[in-house]
Amino acid sequence: MLRVGIDVGGTFTDVVAVDSESGETLSLKLPSTPREPESGVLAAFDTALRERRAKASTVEFVAHSTTVGTNALLGQIGLELPRVAMLTTHGFRDVIEIGRQTRSRVYDLYVGRPRPLVARGDRFTVRERIGPNGDVLVRLDDAEIARACAELRAVPGIGAVAICLLHSYANDEHERRLAASVSQALPGATVVASSQVDPAYREFERFSTAVVNAALAPLVARYVERVCAGLQARGVRAGLYVMRSDGGLARAERIAQRPASVIESGPASGVIAAGALGERVGIGRLLSFDMGGTTAKAGTIVDGVAAIATEFEAAGRTHSGRAVKGSGYPVRYPFVDLAEVSAGGGTIAWLDAAGSLQVGPLSAGADPGPACYGRSSLATVTDANVVLGRLNPGHLLGGAFPIDAERARTAIAALADALSLRVEDAAAGIVALVDAQMSKALRIVTIERGLDPRDFTLVAFGGSGPLHACALADELGVTRVLVPRHPGVFSAQGLLDAALTERVARPVMRRVPDAGAALADTFQRWESRSRESLLGQGAVADTLAFCREVDARYASQSFELSVGYDQRPEVLSARFHQAHRRRYGYDVAGEPIEIVNARLTATGRLARVCAGRAPRGERSAEAISSRDVWHAGRRLREVAVYQRDALAEGAALSGPAVVEQYDSCTYLAPNWTLRVHDDLLVLQRAPEDA
Amino acid sequence: MNEIDPVTVEVIANALVYASEEMGVAVGNSAYSANIKERLDHSCALFDARGRLIAQAEHIPVHLGSLPWGLVETLRAIRANGGVRQGDMWVANDPYLTGTHLNDVTVIRPVFFQERLAGYAANKAHHADVGGSVPGSMPSVAADLFAEGLVVPPLRLMVDDLPVGETFALFAANSRTPDARHGDLRAQIAGNLTGERRLLELCDRYGAQTLARAVDRLLDASEMRLRHALRELHDGAFAAEDFLEDRNGTPSLRIALRLTLRDGQATIDYAGTSAQTALPLNAVFGVTLSGVHYALRAVTDPTIPMNDGCFRPVEVRVPEGSLLNPVRPAPVSGGNVETSTRNADVVLQALARAAPGRVPASSGGTMSNVMLGGTRRDGRTWAFYETIGCGMGARPNADGVDGIQCHMTNTANTPIEAIEREFPLRVVRYEFAAGTGGAGRFRGGDGLVRAIEIVESAAHATLLADRHAVGPPGACGGESGARGRHVLLREGRETVLPAKTGLDLEPGDVLVVQTPGGGGYGSPDGRTG
Repeated sequence: MLRVGIDVGGTFTDVVAVDSESGETLSLKLPSTPREPESGVLAAFDTALRERRAKASTVEFVAHSTTVGTNALLGQIGLELPRVAMLTTHGFRDVIEIGRQTRSRVYDLYVGRPRPLVARGDRFTVRERIGPNGDVLVRLDDAEIARACAELRAVPGIGAVAICLLHSYANDEHERRLAASVSQALPGATVVASSQVDPAYREFERFSTAVVNAALAPLVARYVERVCAGLQARGVRAGLYVMRSDGGLARAERIAQRPASVIESGPASGVIAAGALGERVGIGRLLSFDMGGTTAKAGTIVDGVAAIATEFEAAGRTHSGRAVKGSGYPVRYPFVDLAEVSAGGGTIAWLDAAGSLQVGPLSAGADPGPACYGRSSLATVTDANVVLGRLNPGHLLGGAFPIDAERARTAIAALADALSLRVEDAAAGIVALVDAQMSKALRIVTIERGLDPRDFTLVAFGGSGPLHACALADELGVTRVLVPRHPGVFSAQGLLDAALTERVARPVMRRVPDAGAALADTFQRWESRSRESLLGQGAVADTLAFCREVDARYASQSFELSVGYDQRPEVLSARFHQAHRRRYGYDVAGEPIEIVNARLTATGRLARVCAGRAPRGERSAEAISSRDVWHAGRRLREVAVYQRDALAEGAALSGPAVVEQYDSCTYLAPNWTLRVHDDLLVLQRAPEDA
Repeated sequence: MNEIDPVTVEVIANALVYASEEMGVAVGNSAYSANIKERLDHSCALFDARGRLIAQAEHIPVHLGSLPWGLVETLRAIRANGGVRQGDMWVANDPYLTGTHLNDVTVIRPVFFQERLAGYAANKAHHADVGGSVPGSMPSVAADLFAEGLVVPPLRLMVDDLPVGETFALFAANSRTPDARHGDLRAQIAGNLTGERRLLELCDRYGAQTLARAVDRLLDASEMRLRHALRELHDGAFAAEDFLEDRNGTPSLRIALRLTLRDGQATIDYAGTSAQTALPLNAVFGVTLSGVHYALRAVTDPTIPMNDGCFRPVEVRVPEGSLLNPVRPAPVSGGNVETSTRNADVVLQALARAAPGRVPASSGGTMSNVMLGGTRRDGRTWAFYETIGCGMGARPNADGVDGIQCHMTNTANTPIEAIEREFPLRVVRYEFAAGTGGAGRFRGGDGLVRAIEIVESAAHATLLADRHAVGPPGACGGESGARGRHVLLREGRETVLPAKTGLDLEPGDVLVVQTPGGGGYGSPDGRTG
């Protein structure tokens, strides 16, 4: 049986197809088709089947990550959003546009807001009011509902309606009645009630989550239908699963109800892959480091679980690894916590007005690409790696892609001359600066979250990750690095490793001693419902697992921490104090604790994990060639270059060395050793005195 | 090795900026009060051993020039009392030393490397209440500084790396929210210790000498970039003036300046500015500086790394005893919000003449401060403070943004659902004040309307706003934005309230705050859309 993972990125669509009996893996990189995403996905699927010479009927499942949501919000041609209308409480029609009333760039006199997904003229209000405890202060009467529906009917071409009333998380009656009537009045439109998609307090974030869901729903539903229909037409009987932003899979038909939950699906899959790899080799703390052509992303896995954050801004910007508040559309769904920086192989080096060397944030992308691709004279990180001898000076992609090393050198020489540096020192400078930025991303997800990077193993992937891994590990005090078998398509691998996931949450707003027993019943009810749902989506029964958590805070605070639930108040309190101390460095004994939300996470596997792959070949580690490599300002002569495919299980190398392969290249620095173990490259830093 | 290579300088520059950002995260993470934790009303910076700013995380513009100025002044005071020692942590909030107002508490850590002073880590955070006559410590009337709250000269918060309990106790004993004072001061310590750790790592890795040379180079680079950007403006002298409204609503408090630009050097002379006032609207010199640096940075190049080099091409002269450089003990709480905002407007006005076509029309020009407090039926006291966004001035190429924080502040609103859970208040309206943006080829942003009803029991309100007499001016033929307005709705009657006032409210009363619209840009005849 064949398991197929398809990861659609901005430039490339990566495919991994694994035979569940033999463990044999096929990996492919194909161009993406952003204007018509479904055709690219189906074409990728066809290519995988053709290359494996497999029948569609032998496909066990297809797991997919998509950028369709992000691209639509960013204004991709061919993915136009529908006209979205909104119904909200009288007096509050602009809450969705005011947001948190901050500007996203403090010193930019030309700063703007993201374009509202609902135009002001399409925001309608109803007279009603619910109080913070769910009490009805002003009743929503039927005449008011009828009037609102009539107003909506008068607007041509509405594709979706978001219903967003104040305090609806505490009492959803008004929203439900409105939703029912609007669905009847506008039969063609998707209707989303905020209390259904995000029942939590803080109105702007809830309204925004509802609006993003409404805006994406028609488009994502159509996309999913087309991909499913295409697979069926090819004879695939198995289901299509889509990865959500939280790294869990869901049956494709289900995501159409909450399309905002898949917006960050691509970046999540890399971290999930790193987590699965850790599970396979028995390492619980991993730093996932994914460096591609334009960006680098860092995430963490602690005790086998990917770090999760609870809110992100869809289509927002990041600055130096941190999300810029107010630059996108807030979506209050869990997502894999990542720090992203504009640092990749294509990132451009330049000189600022003071003549200082700068790297990024602009990228040469795939077109025109780095100077060494032959179509530009842009000095990029990739060119620097060519000049330093770390990348093959003749070709990439196993010979399929020619490299013009002279052109790389000329581009970097232009900068070097202005800086009065040797070409190689300028190249080393570019690499040092891009490394500094990437180490910032790695620090953000560790040190700033109260984690010590020295306790972690780095998993380096993406086309460029393994080139920079040793330097970053050195910078952070990490002593072990893992490079997976196919670093360039590792994220697609993550799709096959992920579990089906259901998350349920609801506001509690009660202090610890009162909340205990009532919550136990709630969790019980949620578990039986989730069990049914996961089994219905195809989960294997004995792989089901449940995690009960509460978001709690000191009663006088306004921010929460998630801790494992326990029915006994004293245990729950102790857990919270401890979590607060670990995260913020202190706790306040005796202070009352309030439970804000209860959360259940239920997971189940689609299939059992494949048997381990048999290590291949008995070939020893023999260098295929050698070349000079620059390191720390010195020329290291005739550094051995190895072919990844020829490295046998157990082979051991010591740095400096270069390991080349189709989809990536690993640079082993002088103070590092490497061993092939379990089909991974395990890089280890030599002890200090060596 | 006398020369230091440019790449090392750049790597160190990155590391220093990152260190200051990490300090900011550490303060935010460990703070107790929502004001610091959620609204991020704090700033962090690193200084070298000579007290020169080497990196600053950019959160709140009003801290931009005032934190470095405050560090120098505070250290001068500390030196007069014996100076800093290893293991010290100092705290102060005296505005005449630290550079803003009493709520902004500054904490300073001298950093020692191999027994020698290597620099300072410092941060400033807004404490929600530091005593005084009203909750929030920003009264609408105050005869002097002492009426505004507790004045703390430089005191030790740590000695030999151990907390000084008495100093914590002093802050707690003088605040309406004592528990939060402890948590917030601890957070400020955590921030400085983070900065210290990073600075020491750099000393370790590169050596103190190389680090010092790199710092020299990167300060020079910022100076060079700012001079370069200033040379792109027109040389010459450019005068500008505007007025703040006094308690009677008369725009009588004058801010006047003359900006002289010559070959990459900017001189700003505030001769002609009103004398200091008996109202809490005086802006200490640090606040005045921050307005200048904010405006210059926004108009020239906001990507220049913020450090001492950015201050060198700029000279600021303010008459002593004036609204923008008062003499102790003039009251200053509102100078930090309202006067600070108008000052930035006036500097931008002058810059508009030096950089035609690059500076937007005036934004709302007030932070629209609302402070409410009282005693609940169960006897608990409560205090609520917020600032409300306004209309942004239209830009030379685009409309102004509706209802947003402008210029010297960027703090977030408190969610309505949070306000109603925590306070005996009900928000009855929060939307754009449609049509309040000034007309123009590009339209000014609309202001906001926020209406709050008092429920449960009586409350006291303090309102502090401006631009109620004259709307924010347009630019290049654009019209002014609409003026702001305060209205009290009581038993079906509307009463217009002054811009700056304090009053008692009963349950059922509704306070309506309408903030000013932004000015328009260019003649409305030129409007295309």
